[in-house]
Amino acid sequence: MKKIKVKGKHFILSLVCLVLGFMIAYSYHLTQIETQNENRDISAKQYEKTLVLRNQLIAQEETNRKLQKELNKKQDKVLKNEKGLAKEAQVFLNLAEDTEKYRMFLGKVKIKGKGVKITLSDGAYDPKEVNINNYLVHEHHVFKVVNELYISGAAAVAINGQRLTSHSYIVCNGPVITVDGVQHPAPFVISAIGDPDVLSSSLNLTGGVKDQLVNDNLVFTLEKENEIILNPILGSI
Amino acid sequence: MWLPFMGLVIGIILGLLTEIRIPEEYSNYLSIAVLAALDTLFGGIRAYLQNIYDEKVFVSGFFFNIILAASLAFLGVHLGVDLYLAAVFAFGVRLFQNIAVIRRILLTKWSTNKEKVEKN
Repeated sequence: MKKIKVKGKHFILSLVCLVLGFMIAYSYHLTQIETQNENRDISAKQYEKTLVLRNQLIAQEETNRKLQKELNKKQDKVLKNEKGLAKEAQVFLNLAEDTEKYRMFLGKVKIKGKGVKITLSDGAYDPKEVNINNYLVHEHHVFKVVNELYISGAAAVAINGQRLTSHSYIVCNGPVITVDGVQHPAPFVISAIGDPDVLSSSLNLTGGVKDQLVNDNLVFTLEKENEIILNPILGSI
Repeated sequence: MWLPFMGLVIGIILGLLTEIRIPEEYSNYLSIAVLAALDTLFGGIRAYLQNIYDEKVFVSGFFFNIILAASLAFLGVHLGVDLYLAAVFAFGVRLFQNIAVIRRILLTKWSTNKEKVEKN
């Protein structure tokens, strides 16, 4: 009987211990979970700070986006400009070539090339002729030759080494002719740069320039040259 | 003697393993209840050492105190008065008193034992 009582006592005591242990452990467990949660949850201050930072970040990203767009636009612009520049460069190249050509025509540069050389000399003294003008070289003879040369495609023409330009003038001045204010005595050497075959054949046409000059008792010599060098015009003529 | 310890261990294990979650506002009640249980436990130990231990008183006091403390805290929450502080205070003071008495009794017992040993 006593043993049973002791057992009953122990049983009740264990029940009390069980409840106590359970409560303590459960409380501990709960507190731990709460602490964890608290650690996980951020405080109001932190939250505010995070919010501010986040807003800042968003603003920054928006700005970045805007700037990126702007950059893209600018890049497009640059691309266009570059294309324009490339085109311009080509235009400039063409212009440079044109300028070179025009300078050549204007006689501002030294040029070199194939061509012909025509020498016009006065005819030999003929006592039968009363008028010496009949066998002298006149400016119209020179004109004829020069015009014929230009017509048949000469790039540049010079008389006695003096280049002719688009506004050159040739004046008969007694026994000499004046080209752009510079006097030249006979014989006149007319050098022209161009296709030698074309130039010579155009001068040699039957009834052409050569025949007419020869009819005027002049001495006409024509040479094809592989290399003719024409110096630029000196001064600002 | 091992049965109460078994009960304690099982209780602790159960408490750690339970996944039942109670709402946060009730955790206050739980802590008060724990305090009450501890107080009763030490009270029981003191009574046992003073040879005035009564099982009925102990067991009824244990559960009754727990429930009373919890309901006091509950009432306090609903009245807007921090009544659980009263419980904490009361139980805390009693806990310390009980422990002090237990200590003194143990000390007296130890010194008398020593004297006996010396006499012998």
